[in-house]
Amino acid sequence: MRSIRAVLFRKVINAVITIFIVLALNFVLFHVMPGNPVRMMIPQKPNIDPGYIDMMMEKFGLDEPMHIQFLIYLKNVFSLEFGDSFRTKTPVIDLVLDDLTWTLILVGTSTFFMITIGMALGILAAWKRGSWFDTGSQAFSLFFYAMPTFWFSMILILVFAVQLHWFPPSGELPIGMTLTPFSIGTFVALLDHLFLPAISLTVGSIAAFSVVMRSSLVDVMTEDYITTARAKGMSEGRMLRNHALPNAMLPMVTLIALDLAFIVGGAFQTEYVFDYEGIGYATIIATEQDDYPYLQAAFLIIAVVVIFANLIADLALAYLDPRVKMK
Amino acid sequence: MSRAADRFLNLVPLSEPAKEKLRLVGKRIAVTARHFRRSPTGMAGLGILAFFVVLAIFAGQVMTLFSWIAGSAGHPWASAYDPFEITGDGVMRPPSPEHWLGTDDNERDILSRVVYGSRVSLEIGLVAAAASMGLGTLVGLLAGFWGGWRDEVLMRITDVFLVLPWLALMIVLATVLPGGQSVSKVIFVISVTGWSYTARIVRAQVLSVKERGFVERARAIGSSDMHIVRSHIFPNVFPLVFANAIITVALSILSESTLSYIALGPPPTEVVTWGNILYSASQRNAMGNELYWWIIVPGLCIVFLVLAFTFIGYALDEIFNPKLRKR
Repeated sequence: MRSIRAVLFRKVINAVITIFIVLALNFVLFHVMPGNPVRMMIPQKPNIDPGYIDMMMEKFGLDEPMHIQFLIYLKNVFSLEFGDSFRTKTPVIDLVLDDLTWTLILVGTSTFFMITIGMALGILAAWKRGSWFDTGSQAFSLFFYAMPTFWFSMILILVFAVQLHWFPPSGELPIGMTLTPFSIGTFVALLDHLFLPAISLTVGSIAAFSVVMRSSLVDVMTEDYITTARAKGMSEGRMLRNHALPNAMLPMVTLIALDLAFIVGGAFQTEYVFDYEGIGYATIIATEQDDYPYLQAAFLIIAVVVIFANLIADLALAYLDPRVKMK
Repeated sequence: MSRAADRFLNLVPLSEPAKEKLRLVGKRIAVTARHFRRSPTGMAGLGILAFFVVLAIFAGQVMTLFSWIAGSAGHPWASAYDPFEITGDGVMRPPSPEHWLGTDDNERDILSRVVYGSRVSLEIGLVAAAASMGLGTLVGLLAGFWGGWRDEVLMRITDVFLVLPWLALMIVLATVLPGGQSVSKVIFVISVTGWSYTARIVRAQVLSVKERGFVERARAIGSSDMHIVRSHIFPNVFPLVFANAIITVALSILSESTLSYIALGPPPTEVVTWGNILYSASQRNAMGNELYWWIIVPGLCIVFLVLAFTFIGYALDEIFNPKLRKR
């Protein structure tokens, strides 16, 4: 038995190492790879002011040797200095943090629903194993799992926005409206715009959760302690709640962590199709306009957010796992 | 194994041990096939896959057949359209006897583009999956076999690729890597982002196989590391890798269509994929203009091809995982 403190320590260290590798990877991708780091941080325009180029060269140390550049890069990252976006000419970090809010709203809402619906379906399917509900829910989940998220978004727009006019086809708020000042009207408009993107992101990932929940619960139900509980005459509902579910939940927590990388990938597609201006939408637009400063910052920040979310899931797992005892 | 196969083996100039090995492999395949035939999901997947493989290999003949059918129904086509042929029948026309799925924004026949689109989707899916499986298996085998600090280093790198949002990494790689858009670049990008899960499960399997008696015995009689990995560990890891490979093909196909959809796939002027058909549909606002045939058919092709590989993968997983087979 390992002590919880050792487990936590190890997880935190791993997360820090992972973040450091991501930092190095990001540096290699944006500073070493193309051979010409200047291209990355300075827009390629024929009529650009030479004074501006000198300033940027200075700021990012672009004429220094690689290892010095790496140190300057680290310093810039930790002071959140990512340069200006080529597209808007404003500091990239402000744009990224602004976009991140919208992405977190979308991903947060969808993740909540995919976990609750996925778990409910999985539990019911395991409960009624072999029934038409079991087969049906599995087929349904797999069909949507096989569907590209961007295509499902297109279909949703076609049906519910263009044909039925139930929801707006694009955007995150009506044009001209902002989150602040926040009122009931803003909230309703927000939900109205969030509905279709959230559906698109949620439905595709339900499968991952329901399939794992089902197989995990089916697995647990064959354990000896369940047989014992049955032999004691415990009611099925109580047995499920007190003995089966807490154990069957463990693989789910791991899955949430692993699946986050896929959920964010799905969010990128959803945002792009719905013109929902989160970090995914802006990243794809940045590739179209060679906005390297934005791309670099967005990639790094998304990665760090996901690593943190993973760490939290890991810690939750360590806390929930009965095999890891508090000391 | 059948007598015919035995007779065939006698004709091949091989040493007796090599023949015996081949016989064993043949037996294994035969057993797997027998189990597979009993799985309705697996057989359904195989059927759908066969359909698309035929479509891809005989794309030209299929179009000739369609044009012959159109001709005998009294609506002869100008030709068995090529996917890049500018037909001169107008842009974005609805389905008609001459163009069963209408025409796109360049007066090209959408049906022909969908039929030929199966080629690149399959090609990229298969090659990228093979490459990422190869990389993942190698990393997993080495990490599991070596153990110690080398295992630790390899696993930290694997973790990075496991938690990083796959689409964000693919977008950055596709944008930053030099040398324009090409099929080989897309394959590279997909395989570099897709190997980590394989590495994880291969490592776990290696760790469990390593502890078994036969590996210890082999070591006791002085077998080399290379020999142990090749003859004892790899054969026990392979079935797992194979089942996982099939699922990886499905993910690679999804990745390719997503990249194509955000204009980071193979060059649309030279290569037609289902993803870039949907890209041009999106660019021309096919949703708003309710040109639903342009969206629905290529999308369904992606869904069914992905579903085919998922079904086959699940069926194989059930066969190779005896724990699952019981249920």
